[in-house]
Parts: sequence; structure tokens; C-alpha cells
Amino acid sequence: MRVILRILTWFLRPKDKKLGVAPDGGQRYDLPLNKGSGTGFLIMLVALMTFLAAMALTMSFVMGEITHRWAAGLENRMTIEIPAEDSEGKILDKAALREKAAKVTALLDKQKEFIASYNMMSEEEIAALLTPWLGENLVLQDIPLPALIAVDIKPKIKDLDAQITALQENLAAIAPDIRIDTHEDWLGELVRFTASLRFGALMVTLLIGVTMVAAVAGGINSRIAIHRKEVELLHLMGARDNYINRQFQRHALILCLQGSLIGLCGAFVIMGLIALVSGGGNTLLPDMSLSTSQIGILLALPAFSALVGAVTARYTVLRALSKMP
Amino acid sequence: MISILCLTRIKDKSVIKFEHVGFRYGVGPEVLTDINFRLEPGSFHFLTGPSGAGKTSLMNLMYLGQRPTRGLVTMFGQMINDLEREKLAPLRQRIGVVYQDFRLLDHLSAFDNVALPLRISGQSEKDVKANVNELLDWVGLGDYKRALPLTLSGGQQQRVAIARAVIAKPRLLLADEPTGNLDDEIGMRLMNLFDQLNRMGTTIVIATHNKKIMNEMNHPKMILDAGRLHIENPASMVKEKIEGVF
Repeated sequence: MRVILRILTWFLRPKDKKLGVAPDGGQRYDLPLNKGSGTGFLIMLVALMTFLAAMALTMSFVMGEITHRWAAGLENRMTIEIPAEDSEGKILDKAALREKAAKVTALLDKQKEFIASYNMMSEEEIAALLTPWLGENLVLQDIPLPALIAVDIKPKIKDLDAQITALQENLAAIAPDIRIDTHEDWLGELVRFTASLRFGALMVTLLIGVTMVAAVAGGINSRIAIHRKEVELLHLMGARDNYINRQFQRHALILCLQGSLIGLCGAFVIMGLIALVSGGGNTLLPDMSLSTSQIGILLALPAFSALVGAVTARYTVLRALSKMP
Repeated sequence: MISILCLTRIKDKSVIKFEHVGFRYGVGPEVLTDINFRLEPGSFHFLTGPSGAGKTSLMNLMYLGQRPTRGLVTMFGQMINDLEREKLAPLRQRIGVVYQDFRLLDHLSAFDNVALPLRISGQSEKDVKANVNELLDWVGLGDYKRALPLTLSGGQQQRVAIARAVIAKPRLLLADEPTGNLDDEIGMRLMNLFDQLNRMGTTIVIATHNKKIMNEMNHPKMILDAGRLHIENPASMVKEKIEGVF
């Protein structure tokens, strides 16, 4: 508490001890750029934009993590489904289903060149998969369940598609309705979905960047308009464009740095709250923990924002000065 | 011919040379017509004439606030008509200007206002401090170094403006009504300062309506009337058109 009070006292300390007397301690600006209401507004604008950029980037990172997690879970795997009914629609009894499954596993045993292992799923395991849709009070005896075989494929197999096609043909010889699900369609959809979300997030970040450039340029233009007489005077006294420009550039750099630090702190607080609410991740959503490089990118936002602000200010001022004789 | 001349750096000892210079704002009428004159190093001139005669426009051209719409202007040996913008900056640093409305920066102290030309020309803070303190003491503002311009009287502000104009020892000093807000005694004291600077080699042009000062100081008068310039020689008091001087 004492520390907070000290910080507050430092911020609220009187700047000019005596009315009408310029503060000591060296003149930093020839132009009164740090005075006026526009300064606070620009800081707030940059803070909001940095906050949004940080959230959009984090969303992009999280989407990437989701894709990675889901893809990693299904990579090099396929499922063989033996339907509970025959090709004429007649429900098979369990003995017939088991007989078909035995033929399939016997076939799989001969495919050692690309199949690492397989697991004939028990009724309990299949029931567990159906629980989210049918509830826990499922009466297995009343529902004809297919036989499912989870197959692990050896990594880095050449001509895998040809091998799977051959397997499909061999399975068709046992029963034409046996299906192989390589999860490719579903995974492809998922990857496209998350990729489009990531693209959207990156576009939002880019848009925020462009908006920030426009906001800084607008802010600097209004500063030039407000201080036109002072700028003209310095120009007429022989100040080179860079001398005047440096003051605006430094002003924009400091404002953007201040604003983006505030925005980033806000983003970290919100991310922490989301992580807290989401309970540290579950089966569908990953937790909000970011990798070191991702945190590095977020921490670099203020520096990037300051750089964008300074460069924008530079070009805006030089353009305005070029119109002077 | 003119363009060839513009591209050539002309060796000329004169501080300013105007040749057939005309000036207009935008598409308006010419406010300065066929102006011809040259100011030698160390010369002292008064610029006078009725209101609206074009004094401010002529001063504006002389401190490189505008470029002429026609004719040739040479400053410190350089033709400025087509000179690149960046090359005008060092020329401007050799010119000290006292504006009629002072043009002090209100947020800067008297010290920092006077220090501006030195800082712009890149002098060290040590030199800035020594020179500015000395000059402010000399103009009687030693006790007001940290005062903001708005807290100073009109006369004090004018002295700050004059100190700012002379601090960098300019080769050309232009002053627009520099004694307008001063009593006669301080006015004469400042004119003596200009005189001292002139003796040290600074070329001086003072725009004024003050006949008393013009008569006492006995320097040539540049008289503007309806955009045309005549020079009045103090010795003979004979009006002479400058046309044909070159």
C-alpha cells in the first residue's frame, strides 16, 4: 500500500513549482508536444489497439495449439468399422459380428509392413464413445453396436494410400460394407476451420496495425496543425527537417510505448482470467499457457508498436515539412 | 539563361542581391514589383514605407520565408530560386530575425527561447549556457532567465526576441519594428546594440516607421511604395532609383 501511495505521489507531484516559471532540468522538446488533451487520447487508443492485437494473436496461437493437439491425436491412426447389419439391412447377431471381426484381425495380422498394432475395441469402450451423445444410462443390449478396430499405422510409410486401398479391397472380400476411416476428411475440415480462424485473427492483427498507423498519423497531423506556428518558426530559424522530425518521432515513440505497455498488461490480465475460468484446459480446449516464443512475440508488441509509431510520425512530419519553402 | 544561372553557384560578395524580383501570393496581384538591390557585408539599412507597401513581404523574402515568383535572389553567394530545401537551412542559420510579434515560444523560458538558434546549429550545452546567460544579462533580463514569455512585459519580450536574433552572431540581421514596444531610452540602447553588431560585420536591415531613430542613425533608407523599392541616400538625401545599379 505504501509503495502504491509513493508511486501515486510521484505521478501527481507538482510539475511547475512556481507559476510562470519554466521547469528546471533541461529542455527536452522545443515544441510543447507533451501538453494537451490529445496525448491521453492517443495513449488510450494505442492501449486499446495493443490489447486487441494481443488478444487476436493469442487466439491465433490457441487455434494453432488446438489443431496441433487434435491432429497429433489422430495422426497415423485409422479405424475399421464392421457394421452391425449386413448389406441387406439385416441385424447381425453378436456371434456373426465376432466371426467377421476375427476374419478382419486375421487379415490385419498379415499387414505387418504398415500396421504397427491394432486394438479390437470392447463394448464398454464403444459405449464410452457413445456416452456424450446417448447418455450414461445406455442399455447396450438394446442397440446393435458395430465392431470397431483401432489401428495404429507405422510412421513414415511410403505409398500408404496404396496400402490402405489394398487393405480396403481385401476387407471388401470379407464383407463389402466394412469401412476404413482414416479421419482424413474430418481432420481436413478441422484444419481448414482452425486455419481460417487463425487467418482471421492474423488479419485482425494486421487491421489493428493499419488502424494504429492511421491513428498515429492523424494524431501527429493534428499536432503539426496545432503547433504550426512553432514548427514554422523553427524552420525559419534554420532547423533542418530532421531536427523538427526527431521531436515528433520521439513523442510518438514514447506515447506508443506507454499505450502499448498498458494495453499488453490489460491483455495479460484478461488472458489470466480466461485461463482461470476455463479451468486450465479440458478435452476440447487447450489451456491458455503459451510457449516461450509466443510470449516473446506478445512481449515484443510494445517495441513493435513504438517502432510503428515512430516511423509513422517520421513520414507524416517529413511530408508536412516538405510543403514548407 | 536564368535557369543556367540558377544552377550555378555565383561568386558574389554581397549578402543579398535581388534582381528584378517580383512576388505575389497565389494568383493574386504582385505585391512586390521589379525589386533590385544588393546589400554589401557590414551595411546598415532602414526599410520603411507606408502600411501595405510590401515591407513584410520583402522581409519574408529576405529571411527565406518565401521564394520569389520571378526574378533572381542571391544570398551569401548562392542563388536561392531553385536551391534544394535542405540547403536553405544553413543559409537561414546565418540570418537573425526580430519579428514584429516577437514569435516567442510560450512554453519555453526566456533562456530556452534565446538558446534556440544555438541548439538548432548544434552547439554544445556548455557553450549555449555561457552565451545565453551572458547575453540575457547584457539585455537586462538576467533575473528573468526562467520566466515564461507570457509573464514578461512587452518590452521584456521584445528584448528576448532581439537576444534570440543576435545570439548566433548572424551575418544578416532583419528586424521588423524592433523598437515598437520600447521607450526611447531602451529603444536607442537596442539600436546601439545593432550598431555594434554592424561594426562587427553584421549586415542589418531594420523595418521601421520611427523617423527619429532613422534620422539619428543616419543610414540609407530602403523605401517601399506600392510594391516598388527606392533607396534614399542619407548623405545627399537625393532619391535614387536602384534600377541600373548592376
